[in-house]
Amino acid sequence: MKNFLGVVLATTLFFVLFTGGAFSADNPIIIGLQAPITGDYAIEGLMAKQCVETAAELINKNGGINGQPIQIVIADDASNPKDSALAAQKLISQKVVAAIASYGSSVTEPAADLYDRSKMVSVGYGCTAVRLTMSKQRPFFFRTCGRDDSQGQFFAKFAVEVMGWKRIALMHDNQTYGKGVAEETRKSLEPYIKEGKAEIVYYDAITPKEKDYSAVITKLRETNPDVWYYTAYYPEAGLLVRQGREAGITIPFVGSNAVPNDDFVKIAGLEYAKETLMTQEPMPQDINTPISQVFLDAYKAKYGDIPSSPWPIYAADGLFALVRAIKNAGSTDTQAIADAMHSMTIAEGVTGKIFFTDRGDRKDIPYAMYVYNDKGKLELYKPAAK
Amino acid sequence: MGTFFEQLVNGLTVGSFYALVALGYSMVYGVMKLINFAHGDLFAFGSYLGYTFLIWGSSWITTHFGVWGGMASAILFAFAGTGIAGILVEKVAYRPVYPAGRLPLVVSALGMSIFLQNGIMAIWGPRFQAYPSETVPSLAFNLFGVHVTILKVFILGLSFLLMFLIYYIVEKTAFGAAVRATALDRETATLLGIDIRKVIFFIFALGPALGGLAGVMNGMYYRSIQFNMGWNYGLKAFTATILGGIGNIPGAMIGGLLLGILETLFAGYFPGGGAWKDVFIFLVLIMVLIWRPNGLIGEKMAEKV
Repeated sequence: MKNFLGVVLATTLFFVLFTGGAFSADNPIIIGLQAPITGDYAIEGLMAKQCVETAAELINKNGGINGQPIQIVIADDASNPKDSALAAQKLISQKVVAAIASYGSSVTEPAADLYDRSKMVSVGYGCTAVRLTMSKQRPFFFRTCGRDDSQGQFFAKFAVEVMGWKRIALMHDNQTYGKGVAEETRKSLEPYIKEGKAEIVYYDAITPKEKDYSAVITKLRETNPDVWYYTAYYPEAGLLVRQGREAGITIPFVGSNAVPNDDFVKIAGLEYAKETLMTQEPMPQDINTPISQVFLDAYKAKYGDIPSSPWPIYAADGLFALVRAIKNAGSTDTQAIADAMHSMTIAEGVTGKIFFTDRGDRKDIPYAMYVYNDKGKLELYKPAAK
Repeated sequence: MGTFFEQLVNGLTVGSFYALVALGYSMVYGVMKLINFAHGDLFAFGSYLGYTFLIWGSSWITTHFGVWGGMASAILFAFAGTGIAGILVEKVAYRPVYPAGRLPLVVSALGMSIFLQNGIMAIWGPRFQAYPSETVPSLAFNLFGVHVTILKVFILGLSFLLMFLIYYIVEKTAFGAAVRATALDRETATLLGIDIRKVIFFIFALGPALGGLAGVMNGMYYRSIQFNMGWNYGLKAFTATILGGIGNIPGAMIGGLLLGILETLFAGYFPGGGAWKDVFIFLVLIMVLIWRPNGLIGEKMAEKV
């Protein structure tokens, strides 16, 4: 009797362990979300969680994946690379089918390596450094957001050709993402500099997580620029705008796409945040796709307002892409999902159709110039006619 | 020249925050020979106390006392609140461990720091909070071509006033003599009839209270606060203490101000200085420690044999 029980247990264990790849009607398909739930960028993590959960509800309402519901488990990476590796290991050991991870390029990188090594598909949603996909091939890594070089090109073109800004000040925070955008912007400005249409009068980094930036601000003011482009995250951007305006800098402030969200306005204060410009992907409310209206209505019904930054939407799109890939693959085998991600053509996300290059970058992401209005909300920027 | 003077004022502002936090570090170290790692987090706690006070009582305070009265009462509230917190920290985390020696004490201090930081996060949340703008006067003027805000002047003035007050208490009063005696030699001080508990009580009320006060002023000046803000200031203030000579009140003041001025001038005048600022600062610290191991104006500590 004892022996028999042992055999039964062993067989069950065998099936549980080794047939996890097949569909089963009762169990939900579990997808991981790694996001900064705590830490410096906690608001982004919170909104990503809300967006992915809203997307999951919509998908489950429409029958899930071939009748099987999906379930989201969350791992907190606290916006730092060390916790990011732990969060990735947590999701890997929980045997999630795929993961959406994460916000911030330096934070995503170690996690992407871990997922890749254990052959699990991961989709980044707020990590735009070029080197994430270009420094080495990670066959299991994808991202639904754009890349820093396209943002740098956009800013250079807009600054010189549309606005006619000549003396340009670039400031970053020496981290992967911030330095990436700044370097790419400098590269994109080079042709204009040769033509004599632009000039970089200031190029320096600040130390993140500090409170007082008056020294670099005074230095920047003395170089007498036409525009001040800050390419890093919102906590420092808010302090910079505030201290800059108080030190008498009146030139336009342009932030890169990790600056705009409600906490930026809160830190800078509405009186200083208004009229600041942002280079970024189109905001949720300016996206016109079949899914966007349904998604944003569902989100608004649940949380009262639409997300205040574009990133969480890309997290939701990560889920939409994964679900489509799992459907296409017809199994939860990770290699099959990765292949399906690469060959995908009809995935509809909130931000439009989702396709990937063979390096895992998303194709065709538009950028736009936004401005904060008097109410502290973003709207598309329309340059005054000259 | 105007720019240089403005950078100097910038540096003094940064430095006066470091100096205020460093004062608390130094006082506690002088008497207890304990590096109070929780000090930076008490600074953050004070900042949050002032924030809560201003949020809850803002309309009532501003109608009764005006903007400056509101600021003053918030500063007093945080000063007292952090002082009480400091006494509790000493009772809970340091007094029971004190006989076990220095190492357990340092570990206990580190634990207290983590406890406080996470406590702040649990109570007020992980997101940034901003001091309400209507409670803080914002007025800028030009002084001989230098851009100065009135808050900057206020903060600089108050810091200097406090530093001299503490210096006066410790160096010129009878109670200050008791504090200094305890710092020199606890046992002999007891034999001379000094009530050591009173001294420790005073140190652990005033040191953290100064940190808390710096926290409120920091919140008013920079507007945004977050739960882990204490770490950075704790580290810089600790550096300032070492630079000036640990356990030494004028040393902490000079170390803090010097640190602020040096890093501002470096960031302001060195190409790429913004990025290399901290490298430079710690290089300076190492150099100073090589030439003067006891800090810039630290006197040689007599080791007990």
